[in-house]
Amino acid sequence: MLCIKNLQKSYHTGNKSYPVLKGIDLTVANEEFVAVMGPSGSGKSTLLNCISCYIPFDEGIITLGGQELKGLKADDMAEIRNEKLGFVFQDFMLLDGLTIKENVLVPRIIQGKADAKARKDAEELLSLFGIASIGDKYPADVSGGEKQRAAVARSLINHPLLVLADEPTGNLDSKSSRAVIQAFEDARQNLGATVFMVTHDSFAASFCDRVILLKDGMIYDMLESDHKNQERPAAFQNRLLDAIRRMSSDETFSAEKPAEKSRKGGNAR
Amino acid sequence: MMTMKQLERKLQKAESRQALLYLFCNFVSLMLITAYSAMMFSPTVLLVLPEGGDSRKQMIAIFVLALFGCVVFTVYASGLFFRKKARQLGTLMALGASRRRLSPGLFRQVLILSALSAFLGILAGFPFVFLLWNLFRLLIVDSSQMSLVLDFRCLYLSAVFFVLVVALSCLNAQRYLMRTNIMDVVHEEHKNEPVKELGKWCGPLGILMILAGAVLGYLAPGIYMELFSAYPPVWINLLYAPVFAGLYLVMLHSVVHGWISHRKDPYQNLISRSMVKFQGKQTVNNLLVSTVLIAGSAFAIFYLPMLSVGSRMETENRPFDYFYHYRLDQDIPGEDEIKSLAGSYALSIKDFRSAPYLMLAMDGHAEVEDDGGAFHIEHRPLLQEAKFFSQSSFETLTGEALSLKEGSYLAISNADETMLYFLNSDCSVLTNMVTFETLPVSFGGYLHYDFLVDSVGYYVLNDKDYETIASGLTPDYMGCAAFFNMDGEDSYAFAEDFFYTLIDSFSPACEYPTYYDRVEKYAAEERGEVYWGDTDRMTKISFDAPDTSEFRSYWYYMPKIRILDKTDFARTFSVFLMMFLFISIICSLAAMIISYTRCMTIALNNRYVFDDLKRLGASPAFLLREIRSQARVVFRVPCLVGMTAMYLLYALLMLANDGKFTAGEAGGLITCLGILLLTGFLYFLVYRFTVKRMGAELEILVS
Repeated sequence: MLCIKNLQKSYHTGNKSYPVLKGIDLTVANEEFVAVMGPSGSGKSTLLNCISCYIPFDEGIITLGGQELKGLKADDMAEIRNEKLGFVFQDFMLLDGLTIKENVLVPRIIQGKADAKARKDAEELLSLFGIASIGDKYPADVSGGEKQRAAVARSLINHPLLVLADEPTGNLDSKSSRAVIQAFEDARQNLGATVFMVTHDSFAASFCDRVILLKDGMIYDMLESDHKNQERPAAFQNRLLDAIRRMSSDETFSAEKPAEKSRKGGNAR
Repeated sequence: MMTMKQLERKLQKAESRQALLYLFCNFVSLMLITAYSAMMFSPTVLLVLPEGGDSRKQMIAIFVLALFGCVVFTVYASGLFFRKKARQLGTLMALGASRRRLSPGLFRQVLILSALSAFLGILAGFPFVFLLWNLFRLLIVDSSQMSLVLDFRCLYLSAVFFVLVVALSCLNAQRYLMRTNIMDVVHEEHKNEPVKELGKWCGPLGILMILAGAVLGYLAPGIYMELFSAYPPVWINLLYAPVFAGLYLVMLHSVVHGWISHRKDPYQNLISRSMVKFQGKQTVNNLLVSTVLIAGSAFAIFYLPMLSVGSRMETENRPFDYFYHYRLDQDIPGEDEIKSLAGSYALSIKDFRSAPYLMLAMDGHAEVEDDGGAFHIEHRPLLQEAKFFSQSSFETLTGEALSLKEGSYLAISNADETMLYFLNSDCSVLTNMVTFETLPVSFGGYLHYDFLVDSVGYYVLNDKDYETIASGLTPDYMGCAAFFNMDGEDSYAFAEDFFYTLIDSFSPACEYPTYYDRVEKYAAEERGEVYWGDTDRMTKISFDAPDTSEFRSYWYYMPKIRILDKTDFARTFSVFLMMFLFISIICSLAAMIISYTRCMTIALNNRYVFDDLKRLGASPAFLLREIRSQARVVFRVPCLVGMTAMYLLYALLMLANDGKFTAGEAGGLITCLGILLLTGFLYFLVYRFTVKRMGAELEILVS
């Protein structure tokens, strides 16, 4: 579904260059729920923004559903964002002047296909995520959790190949966070959605199939859950926390090590 | 089915407040510029402000400042609108809306908003002018000259500004659409705009640069003329540029460091200082524009006291109530007729005295213009016409005794010697313009008698010399000056009657302004040139319009009548005074609106900071203090700097005229100070209102 090879990205301030992604390789399979974790400044959000082509990247290849994203014309890239990608942002990014239902329909309106079927799809999505009753309300009138579930519904309205979520639970309380993660689970189970989520929240990540740990712009480790063999999220969360602790205490972490670990972690999935 | 157009319409509805702010800013800019240019092109004003005169130049210079302010304000408004719009645009881009999909709606919106606001601003400019001008007429002063006539060619300027506003908004829209980093677009609204920090030296350096620029700009034309014997080119005004650079540094210092040391309490106003600092770029720009506008406003308003206080003092201090003079070829009322006229008003006159004078040609050095703006100094035997009393006539007239050697002449100056530029101290030969007999003379010095100071100078000759040179002169080159007082209270009706009777007594041969010099005309025609006084460049005066400011300011034989000059001063100079009051109001309004808008946007952009502070337990009083502290920077710094700089500059100009302050100038400057205090109070009221509005916007309630 998603394949990234040797992704590199630097930010420039004046004459100085700050490398943020230093050669990322990873793949995400169809219907997989993948999380990326790492400390602040590790490059998580940059990775996500590069995949979505919100920001240009320096080196590497990103393919989505077999189509390479670099070098696409602006209009073609917009079409991919609209049809093949879905987005969920930390601060929801719902449009204030539109109702929740209209917000969900925005990608379809952009497409020029906000017809009766689209409205029905939007209503179904709202129902699926338990927010059908707020469809006619405005973002200012609903809670953070409801806003984020509406954003998840919006990301799915065009049946994208991949949903990209940037800290979707970052602004939410635990109850709302759980509801949003449940929305992703439902999307995967009922709609066959593939989700790639950046998060700080080990609880949210514990529901994923796979968690990629990022440090200093490189993949430090990769952990897979064993949900199929009844591993409970809490147990996976414990493993995750151990890995994070290891990463945090690993002062001797160097450029060679993560590559080695990545290979161990099953980079070429 | 909801279409993109419908979606955009809904979104536009949601951002109506930003759109209104944008509309308001453009509207105000266009209205002020249109109003200003309407007045600037108005025949009512152009008739009164002489072409090439200082007042007209100053009107244009302040217009350039106001235009600069309005352009910056419009750029600011457009930037503000797009910063707010960026999140919406970015979200749509992130969800897959292409530039092609977004651009029609975006351009439609900005075109409608910018064109509508600009158009409405232009439309409102005219009622604004009419309203303000007629308010002046109703409340302050009215005269026949003040009847407002507009020349709609002023719309050319508004049209250029209209195009600028629309083009600017389209360019901004295009810039946002072309951005490749969508996340930058999304986060644009909350992006800080820190100003480049310079050390604490920047403030003092700024002050030095302001002073240096003012002195350099003022002195440069004179130095240029001295060095190159040529008239200074327009670009020489660029030497004033350090003033603006200095102002920028002062504003920068005010925003980044402040002028009060925080060493004792480094955390005092920490939050507001950092808020202002991190949006410093726009704040500094706004402060600079407001300062320039306030300075322009002060410069314009200073005209009123400087003109009226000096004139009032001069009128009060005259030794006689009446002074008139005339050519001897005119049939002018003498003492008996005046007594009889006064009698018809149940008045009587006293102290009547009169003395003859001669109108002779003086030689001297003239600046002669060459090609390409250069000039050379040339000696001319027939340089100018001047009026000469004999020593005994002068003594009779003024009651002052003189000692004057044969072969020398004295120039009559005011006691302060501030009007010496009207007098020729370089003369060596006097010429009788009828017989062309000459008399060699030398300059014997100045004698002081304020009452006889005029733009055509009066001089005194030894009685013997006077007799010699007078021989053969015809009455049209001879004159008479007369003074008298009223015995008791004067009457305006009598004064007016006397004035009109006097004018009626003059023949059209005397219908010319003070600048019209018969000697200069003769010399020009001798050289085969057309005398400039016979061209359109000469100020026109007419016996049919004796109440106009041109007539009363420039008629060669204009009498000095204390009661008339005192009572009619405001009416005579009404257009002149009201135009400068108008300019001052326009500039002040613009500065107040810019400061208000800046404060409101600081509050709106930092709403989240205030919300966080509330959550951290900040009391309403604390939050209000922070608001006040920010608004203070925006209002106080431009007021202080703009007003102080202009006051000092004005004082410098007064001083540079003649190296001293006359009593009139000193009185004018004191009145200017009072006006500044009053204007400062008005700004304070707007500041208070702004703080109140900021508090309401941020929902800060003080119980």
